[in-house]
Amino acid sequence: MKSTSVKFANVTSLNELERQAIHTSSLVQPHGVILVLQEPELKIVQVTNNSYSVFGIRPEEMIERTLEELLDPFQFEIIQRGVKQDNLDFINPTKMWARKQGDDYVIFDGVFHRNTEGTLILELEPAASQENIPFLSFYHLARASINQLQETASLKDFCQIIVQEVRKVTGFDRVMLYKFDEDDHGAVIAEEKLDHLEPYLNLHFPASDIPKPARKLFSSNWIRLIPDAYAEPVELFPLKNPQSDRPVDLTLSILRSPYPCHLEYLHNMGVGASLTISLIENGKLWGLIACHHLTPKYVPYELRKACEFLGRVIFSEISNREESEDYDYRMKLTQMRSQLINNMTQSENFVDGLVKDESSLLDLTAAVGAAVCFNGNWTLVGETPTEEELNFLVQWLYKNIEEEVFCTDSLAEIYPEADAYKNVASGLIAMAISRRNYVLWFRPEVIQTVNWGGDPNNAYEIINSEVGQRLSPRKSFELWKEEVRLTSLPWKQVEINGVKELRRAIVNIVLRQADELALLAQDLERSNSELKRFAYVASHDLQEPLNHVSNYVQLLEMRYGDRLDEDAKDFIGFAVDGVSLMQTLIDDVLVYSKVDTQGSEFTMTEAGVALEQALTNLQKRIRENNAQIIISDPLPTLKADNTQLMQLFQNLIVNAIKFRSAATPEIEIGVKRQEDEWLFSVRDNGIGIDPQFSERIFVIFQRLHTRDEYPGTGMGLAICKKIIECHRGKIWVESELGKGSTFYFTIPVGGRERDLRNGRKAKNYSFGGGQQS
Amino acid sequence: MTLEMDEKPKIILLVEDNKADIRLVQEALKNSSITYQMETVRDGVAAMAYLHQEGEYADVLRPDLIVLDLNLPKKDGREVLAEIKNNPQLKRIPVIVLTTSKNEDDIYQSYELNANCFITKSRNLNQLFMIVRRIEEFWLTTVTLPPQ
Repeated sequence: MKSTSVKFANVTSLNELERQAIHTSSLVQPHGVILVLQEPELKIVQVTNNSYSVFGIRPEEMIERTLEELLDPFQFEIIQRGVKQDNLDFINPTKMWARKQGDDYVIFDGVFHRNTEGTLILELEPAASQENIPFLSFYHLARASINQLQETASLKDFCQIIVQEVRKVTGFDRVMLYKFDEDDHGAVIAEEKLDHLEPYLNLHFPASDIPKPARKLFSSNWIRLIPDAYAEPVELFPLKNPQSDRPVDLTLSILRSPYPCHLEYLHNMGVGASLTISLIENGKLWGLIACHHLTPKYVPYELRKACEFLGRVIFSEISNREESEDYDYRMKLTQMRSQLINNMTQSENFVDGLVKDESSLLDLTAAVGAAVCFNGNWTLVGETPTEEELNFLVQWLYKNIEEEVFCTDSLAEIYPEADAYKNVASGLIAMAISRRNYVLWFRPEVIQTVNWGGDPNNAYEIINSEVGQRLSPRKSFELWKEEVRLTSLPWKQVEINGVKELRRAIVNIVLRQADELALLAQDLERSNSELKRFAYVASHDLQEPLNHVSNYVQLLEMRYGDRLDEDAKDFIGFAVDGVSLMQTLIDDVLVYSKVDTQGSEFTMTEAGVALEQALTNLQKRIRENNAQIIISDPLPTLKADNTQLMQLFQNLIVNAIKFRSAATPEIEIGVKRQEDEWLFSVRDNGIGIDPQFSERIFVIFQRLHTRDEYPGTGMGLAICKKIIECHRGKIWVESELGKGSTFYFTIPVGGRERDLRNGRKAKNYSFGGGQQS
Repeated sequence: MTLEMDEKPKIILLVEDNKADIRLVQEALKNSSITYQMETVRDGVAAMAYLHQEGEYADVLRPDLIVLDLNLPKKDGREVLAEIKNNPQLKRIPVIVLTTSKNEDDIYQSYELNANCFITKSRNLNQLFMIVRRIEEFWLTTVTLPPQ
């Protein structure tokens, strides 16, 4: 995760460095001899040109011979059998007595390998002793180290023990544990050295110090010795393999000479000899045990093998340690995640459950802030950027990030706008739930100082010489401090994994809630059609007996009026009025129940036309009251239900006339464009409303006057409110007793569909949660 | 004007389940000068039997005008209307839907089924009487009905 801002001065040259094919170098370190053999007779086809100094035989004579002529016959037989096996480890290493002149023998450690082309290569290094190091001493060495390791508590101490033990076993002046980061640069995490040497502990080294081909080599060749960094390398004779007519591939060779640039690097560091042991985790180069010696130093094959063994054993222990150190934290995260999931399943919508316990949500990723975006609505927890900033961020994520769970510890580096809120969100984990629905976690900027081993911006320089340009590593490895900004503490893999787990749970919950929603919608549809059926029953079946009462009472009056006294006529009057009120009530309830979002199509409607219709319907009443209607603004065309809009105007104007004062009624209709809605107003100069009743008047059947004062059912404004709610708008009144009233209502500019897309108020029952709209 | 006094009286078939409604229609026409014969049936099945001259209605004459309520027992008024208008022998008889309903769906559906007109009963007695008399006047005297 760690990213650094180091940019290299000369990228082109460094790319070249990356491309250098180290393994095609035919140069060999002079302390040993390489023999390229032709099977099955094991004829020598190539040899390093130091053969004379080792065997007293010139290279051109060597390539005339077979291995048999060099070794004693008994040994040759064993080897001949050995190299026929697939696994050459059974004969590696082999002590070899090579005949010099006459009966003069030289003892070598001989190691066979086949290179990538299948060519058999024998590498001979002078043996330090005639005896193999006894297995038991090797075992004791390793056991002592491992025992000590097991008693060590922390990973840091553990790494320290490793370098200590390796140094003890090998006697190098300096032993370091070097760990690669995600971006291939690395840092020394443990060091054991001679006191007077300059410490490299905690220093970072740029990726170019160990370029890609070198890292690849370390992955395949787990142990690498350079006994003398100043030794003149020797070449193979002949240079090209006579069979393939190409230089032979020495990738897996232990004697292969280092790349000159690396040697120069070692020289600049003051290193005379080095031993490098690769630490591989799941096939990936995790790090290195790097041993430096000020003077040339030879490490016998067995000891190297012991170090490699130690490295492997130790390393498997490091992996375990890393895992178990994560384990407790992982358990804690798992527990928190279960709690969150539990909360989510128990809440009506997952967002409520997710933010119910704010600290758990933050602790899940050790974040300082979190934000949940669902259906365009934000729920913010802790320290976060503003909603506006988050809207832009989500748009950017939606367009640029494909991962379901994305994380960065330097958002501003990939999304420059984040610079503005680096103090809360330099680090980001973004979990995409579905299109544009996200859960985000934030970490603030932490200014970190990275200590580099020398200036990483000038890791190499270009040297012009007679042979042309070449790259030369830096001379100074002195502490070079770099301040890293716009970066948060890195997210741990366990935290990211936790978020991935959480995502799976949320997706399941959302899917399940969607199922429940579908069921709910079915229920709604069912109850809606039942309601329609009820409305019909009300309009017909309830009306019919009422009509009969009304008609027959009237018939009674018509036929027998002349025989009835005044009381009887009053009684008939009350009966007729009662029935007629009942009929009006039923009619109004019917209208109210018909105001419905379903079934009515919202179309582009001219508000002016709807108003004209309402005025036409009311013309008799307007005329009777001599009412003045003033339309003070041009009315817009908007997405609405034409009939409902007409009804709305009609009810408001009827009210304005009905509740007139002594003065001539004056009714002014206006409209203003707000940001995303139209604000209509219907102002009158009537009796006004006591503000304490300004809510009550919109409630079904609520009246402020007796029917004797003002007839009516108390349904008019309730119907208005329902119409406006169907249009996802608001309606309210501003008034004072005796000073007239102004009714305001809003209708969203794009109609209710637009509002449905942007707001969850419209779908309160789904994911919206607690607040009432 | 095709008032022909010597013709046999026109027959109106009133399909209405409610006695009170039947009586109101009769009361409305009490003092009418027009000669007509009013027959009533109380449900949709009886209405169809009457029109097809089946069972107890084997001897009746086909009506000249049908006044049909929509909500009827046994067979709904809409079904009755559909059957009449789909029957080659009956489809020419004018059908007036007279109902308490003001429901738009009912109005639309009735005309869709080729009702000749749709009238909502008034709550006001005077208006109701006027409607019934106008129906009588218009359909029995003003228009020329198809020959039997």
